[in-house]
Amino acid sequence: MMRVRKRDGDLEPVDVNKIVKAVERWGGDLADVDPLRVATKTISGLYDGATTAELDKLSIQTAAELIGEEPQYSRLAARLLAAYVDKEVRGQGVASFSQAIRHAHQQGLIGDDTAGFVARHARKLDDAVDPDGDLRFEYFGLRTVADRYLLRHPSSRLVVETPQYWLLRVACGLSTTPGEAIGFYRLMSSLAYLPSSPTLFNSGTVHTQMSSCFLVDSPRDELDSIYERYHQVAKLSKFSGGIGISWSRVRGRGALIRGTNGKSNGIVPFLKTLDAGVAAVNQGGRRKGAACVYLEPWHPDVEEFLELRDNTGEDARRTHNLNLANWIPDEFMRRVEADADWSLVDPSDAPSLPDLFGAEFDEAYRAAEKHAVKTVKARDLYGRMMRTLAQTGNGWMTFKDRANALSNQTGEPGNTIHLSNLCTEILEVNSDDETAVCNLGSINLGAHVTAGGVDWEKLRGTVRTAVLFLDRVIDVNYYPSPQAAASNPRWRPVGLGLMGLQDACFTLRLPFDSPGARELSTRVQEEIFLTALETSAGLAERFGPHPAFAETRAARGELHPDLWGAPTEGPRWDALRARVAATGLRNSLLIAIAPTATIASIAGCYECIEPQVSNLFKRETMSGEFLQVNTHLVGELKGRGLWTAAIREQIKRAEGSVQAVAELPADLRELYRTAWELPQRALIDLAAARAPYIDQSQSLNLFLSTPTIGKLSSMYLYAWQAGLKTTYYLRSRPATRIQQATVPVLTVPDAVACSLENPESCEACQ
Amino acid sequence: MTLLDPGMDLTLRPMRYPHFFDRFRDAIKNTWTVEEVDLHTDLADLARLSAAERHLVSRLVAFFATGDTIVANNLVLNLYHHINSPEGRLYLSRQLFEEAVHVQFYLNLLDTYVTDDAERSAAFAAVENIPSIARKAEFCFRWIDSLADLRELRDKDDRRAFLLNLICFAACIEGLFFYGAFAYVYFLRSRGLLHGLASGTNWVFRDESMHMAFAFDVVETVRAEEPDLFDAGLREQVRQMLAEAVECEVQFAADLLDQGVSGMSLPDMRLYLQHVADRRLATLGIAPMYGSRNPFAFMELQDVQELSNFFERRVSAYQVGVSGTVTFDDDF
Repeated sequence: MMRVRKRDGDLEPVDVNKIVKAVERWGGDLADVDPLRVATKTISGLYDGATTAELDKLSIQTAAELIGEEPQYSRLAARLLAAYVDKEVRGQGVASFSQAIRHAHQQGLIGDDTAGFVARHARKLDDAVDPDGDLRFEYFGLRTVADRYLLRHPSSRLVVETPQYWLLRVACGLSTTPGEAIGFYRLMSSLAYLPSSPTLFNSGTVHTQMSSCFLVDSPRDELDSIYERYHQVAKLSKFSGGIGISWSRVRGRGALIRGTNGKSNGIVPFLKTLDAGVAAVNQGGRRKGAACVYLEPWHPDVEEFLELRDNTGEDARRTHNLNLANWIPDEFMRRVEADADWSLVDPSDAPSLPDLFGAEFDEAYRAAEKHAVKTVKARDLYGRMMRTLAQTGNGWMTFKDRANALSNQTGEPGNTIHLSNLCTEILEVNSDDETAVCNLGSINLGAHVTAGGVDWEKLRGTVRTAVLFLDRVIDVNYYPSPQAAASNPRWRPVGLGLMGLQDACFTLRLPFDSPGARELSTRVQEEIFLTALETSAGLAERFGPHPAFAETRAARGELHPDLWGAPTEGPRWDALRARVAATGLRNSLLIAIAPTATIASIAGCYECIEPQVSNLFKRETMSGEFLQVNTHLVGELKGRGLWTAAIREQIKRAEGSVQAVAELPADLRELYRTAWELPQRALIDLAAARAPYIDQSQSLNLFLSTPTIGKLSSMYLYAWQAGLKTTYYLRSRPATRIQQATVPVLTVPDAVACSLENPESCEACQ
Repeated sequence: MTLLDPGMDLTLRPMRYPHFFDRFRDAIKNTWTVEEVDLHTDLADLARLSAAERHLVSRLVAFFATGDTIVANNLVLNLYHHINSPEGRLYLSRQLFEEAVHVQFYLNLLDTYVTDDAERSAAFAAVENIPSIARKAEFCFRWIDSLADLRELRDKDDRRAFLLNLICFAACIEGLFFYGAFAYVYFLRSRGLLHGLASGTNWVFRDESMHMAFAFDVVETVRAEEPDLFDAGLREQVRQMLAEAVECEVQFAADLLDQGVSGMSLPDMRLYLQHVADRRLATLGIAPMYGSRNPFAFMELQDVQELSNFFERRVSAYQVGVSGTVTFDDDF
């Protein structure tokens, strides 16, 4: 007999009916949920004497584990979890939003400004909380929120806010009136838009560091500057920022150090130190620090740089925590194409190279080649870059000349983009004493699309609210370093992104590589960019242009699509140009497509502009493992009576591919291809088509199951030729996988033959 | 000449068993090193485990401390000796390297998890002083020793004895004991605990899957060459051996779950082990003994593609030894 221990310490027998009732209460409207199944399965995992809290947790987990069979269990698990969290908050004597804020303020979690704001407008704000808000979450999203986003009591570690309080707190931290706060809260609560994680973590708290990205210029070629950078990176990392840092100015191995008349050990030992520093910073227990190092391919240590992530070789020369990116001038790619030589040049001999791009770079580089440290074949080095991508996914290909030539910020000489950020979507100028900063947020396109098409008015409304609040972050933000504080108010860049493109394509039944998908993606991006520019122009009319506006290309009448030679037709564009000419823009940059890994999970949509990775896969995060099923496909299969155990097994065995599901019509098999099954050329074409309406860049992952140097070199040359500014991870798959433990064993033909020779073992077939 | 004929064949061309060579090459692509596994978040997790979970983890790592060494020993003492194919021995050499990496991983793990010297020594001596582990070890040693007197596989009985040893290590030890152990690790990971252990184990699991597949490939090869070895007697011995292995593992589970772990009950663990045992039998073309279904949904998660957020986890999806040269007209 199984018993549970109640909160008062008494033991009582487990009652199936009680669990069934609890499940029915939350899953009554979910047609395909079986409460009895959840209850019995929960009890089978229980041990005698477990606590009621363990029972509650186990029933949530049990519901979640049925998602692979029936996606509706995700909703059920989410609601059970919401109820659990709610109980925890209420248990601390908190009955309303304003009480939660007061409680958290007393614990030193909430900033004085936000606490005061909420106290002044308590009634209005309390009334604004949407009681059904939590019903919109899927389990994985809410679990992520509960484990990592909700504020916790410093000593008891109990959560002190419900998911809806959390979103309203984030809104209040960025608002000046209750009306603003409620509007922003409603947008987030509808999951049609979410700001980036640092904003979701820190808005309204005592540490209002809300920016996602910092772009740190290379240290100067001297020890003091290098150690200053370690310090800066640690400070930026502490409150959830991701770091991009260039290392191109630091001399390479063997270069003379005049002060000691010794020879330099090169950049690798310094990067090893950076690696350890990044790993040591724990971002409030929520994630580890993360940084990406950028290096230009003429640097003499570039070959060792490309080996930093290898898993063999001397560990002192390996950096397991750093990400790596190549910051590539066009001259290099031209020489790769021409199969020409490439010179490695020490920055101490050519200190201006990192600050130059285009023709000026080409000229200075050719002059510097006279003192080349070493000459290699450009193709050999390119091949090594491809090998690094294939073996580690790292060594991202980002293109320096495109990034600079097509930027609003590089209108005046002396302003140079020296690198991109941790996720290759931010491109902003920086320098020794200015660290570029960007605040991000992403629109969930799936929430703006129905089978009838895009709701353009809703999309414009979302953009207007989003830009307003991204801009607001710049003023409310806490800047962890003086270099960051120096840059952001001058340029006021923001990065409005997009997620759920795949959801929209599924809803509209557009295969990802179809002309229709390209048209959708481009048209949506133009609408977002145009509306964002209009909003920024409106802010400039009220508050003035950003201080560095005169240095931008926009000040000369050149908008980003013009740089691409892309069309900007219609009266709205014309009106916008007139406003920009009259009063400028509040923000030098507006659009960046970030990877959205976590916020897409919270919103329950596919990541940024990516195709689905699989129709059935699991996510691994700090919260655990989560099965993700393509609900669009499940709906389709259910409608045809095909959502059966046999088909599920078939999809599982095929690692989430439906190409072998013969019962599914060909057009649906085409629609539900995975990233591994799509031509990568199409992803690049889609990215290039929308790029004129993205004034920063996009985190573009590419997918090859079995990469070869030949495929990679062709693909990245094509990406460069298509005019992309940056690319991101190369996603790949393991050579072999673990043996599946839960799909039926496929009997090998020999074994069957054997049973014929030995009739008694035919029982195998019974 | 057949695979189990005594001797030291050195001829790689013409290659008799190219599928063994393919496995050797695939294994190389999975190369990983202990230094890549980041255990630092595990320490924080260990501190917040319940007493029951801590007991589970300490028993589990004690098993890991010696498990792979036992497998490596059998490989050297028996498998390498009798599988007379240079390409097969290439694979076994690679497997031996992998077992060594696993030993190093679990050594590193124990050194990190267990900071007290006396406790650490006790963990490494688990085969002697923890009865539930000693019983599993005894089972393994008995099978290692089963071939001690066989220098050469001369007759059918010798070869059947060898097959039993091979099947024991593939189906019972790597295929059941380790699969049992992995279930605990993945259970913890599904609750968001001990990611370092889980990510290392993921790689170990991937390797072990290959080892098992190779061993079954050898079995199938021998079966094709000498079908009469697979008589009713052999099949019955395999079943008895697996039944004993299941009991060994169930008593180990009883020890691990002794204090009550919510979400992992002993009856469920028994069903899981029976389910795995049935799978091994199915692979060998032998009728299932239990007909049990897998009760652990978190094990189903291991069967689908993983997608990690690179901010949080090190991705295990990449290959080493990528080939080809720079060209510009490959399809992509």
